[in-house]
Amino acid sequence: MKNTKKFVTIAMLGALATVLMTLKFPLFVPFYKLDASEAVVLIGSYLLGPIAGVAIEAIKVLLNLLIDGTVTAGVGEAANFIMGCSLVVPAGLIFKKNPTLKGAIIGGAVGIVCLSLTASLLNLYVLLPAYAAAFGMELKAIVAFGTKVNANADTLTSFIVYITLPFNLIKGAASVFLASLLYSKTGELLKKLFKSEI
Amino acid sequence: MKNDVVVGQYYPTNSVIHRLDPRTKIMSTLLYIVFLFVAKNIWGYIAALFFLSLAVIVSKVPVGYVLRGLKGVVFIVCMTLVFNLIWTPGEALLTLGPIIITRQGVMASINMAFRLLLLITGTSMMSLCTATIALTDGIEALIKKVPFLGKVSHEISMMMSIALRFIPSLTEELDRIMKAQKSRGADFESKNLVKRIKSYVPLLVPLFVSAFQRANDLAMAMEARCYKGGEGRTRLRILKYQKIDFAAYIIVALAMGCIFATRYIPFKLI
Repeated sequence: MKNTKKFVTIAMLGALATVLMTLKFPLFVPFYKLDASEAVVLIGSYLLGPIAGVAIEAIKVLLNLLIDGTVTAGVGEAANFIMGCSLVVPAGLIFKKNPTLKGAIIGGAVGIVCLSLTASLLNLYVLLPAYAAAFGMELKAIVAFGTKVNANADTLTSFIVYITLPFNLIKGAASVFLASLLYSKTGELLKKLFKSEI
Repeated sequence: MKNDVVVGQYYPTNSVIHRLDPRTKIMSTLLYIVFLFVAKNIWGYIAALFFLSLAVIVSKVPVGYVLRGLKGVVFIVCMTLVFNLIWTPGEALLTLGPIIITRQGVMASINMAFRLLLLITGTSMMSLCTATIALTDGIEALIKKVPFLGKVSHEISMMMSIALRFIPSLTEELDRIMKAQKSRGADFESKNLVKRIKSYVPLLVPLFVSAFQRANDLAMAMEARCYKGGEGRTRLRILKYQKIDFAAYIIVALAMGCIFATRYIPFKLI
């Protein structure tokens, strides 16, 4: 009984995250976008466990791929998935041990750190070089987007430090903040809804 | 009020490509992406463009629809092109004050433009010619073959189908709640990030509650019909390769062979 409900709820939260992804807006550079979908995945991870969080993230990314297609040959989607998981898995694990609002916030904070680290390392060593190589571009051409915003960001490393890192800190903080606000307002209600066997 | 929220870009018509098995289309698209990166000179892109145009003509999808996928990325692509043109070092072709445009820069930009154009239009061809539900069926069948994911292939595709089914409903609901909150003075476009995040709360609370209620109802309906996962489940439409699928695979193999062969064309166009 419980399993089908969990399964359907994961699917529904995946749909909700996909819908919220349409409300995205760019921050700093046009290819880093902020949206509310990560907060949905976080709530899912809090309520249903970290594995459910990963599943919601996977559904979100796959559906987005089906609906919008890809402009990065899947690189952007894979990045989105890995980074999303690095935020929601630690958060979900810590919350599982300490299922209170405090646990949610501590878990979120650890998640933000993991997200920023993963994102910086991935962008530095894999994503941006791979993207540049795949499209035969100069890395400088990508970095130039950042130099326009912050004059210090003129090499790949400084681009990561001045653009990628702050962006992901803001992205993580915004998602955790929104998720905590939502959880404090609706957590009990959602739990009740989830448990009710009408 | 939006009455019909269309999910995906599916363009329904009756062409050979629309009738192909979704697995054929997914595999062909994957191969196409791989070979776009195998091609290394302009001849490769011309070959890919030729086969893509052939596919577009056969699919009876209007060219305008195919190119529509480019609309969202035009800005980024143009900016990247300009930066690429300026920043690539090499032998100078044209000097405009401090800006030096090099031969290598022009070449790299042409390469990039071709790759992006072919990538985006090629992948959108798949979603234009295949209904999203057929795509999830295809993904399920393909995931079944992957060693570790094979066991959960039914779950993955079932969750995707459920999510796809509810995206229009949730989009409509989001739209309605947004309008309701806006009419009460809510500001979703605030430049202040904290304010903007806070403005999402009255939007997301009803959405969450309704999503959980819908999940509840659906789970109950499924339980009532004795749903118990993928084991022993039969389906109405069984995916089966037809003659046209084999023909399509042969054509795709030929196309890939051509693209691969272009790597060895010695003379350059530019």
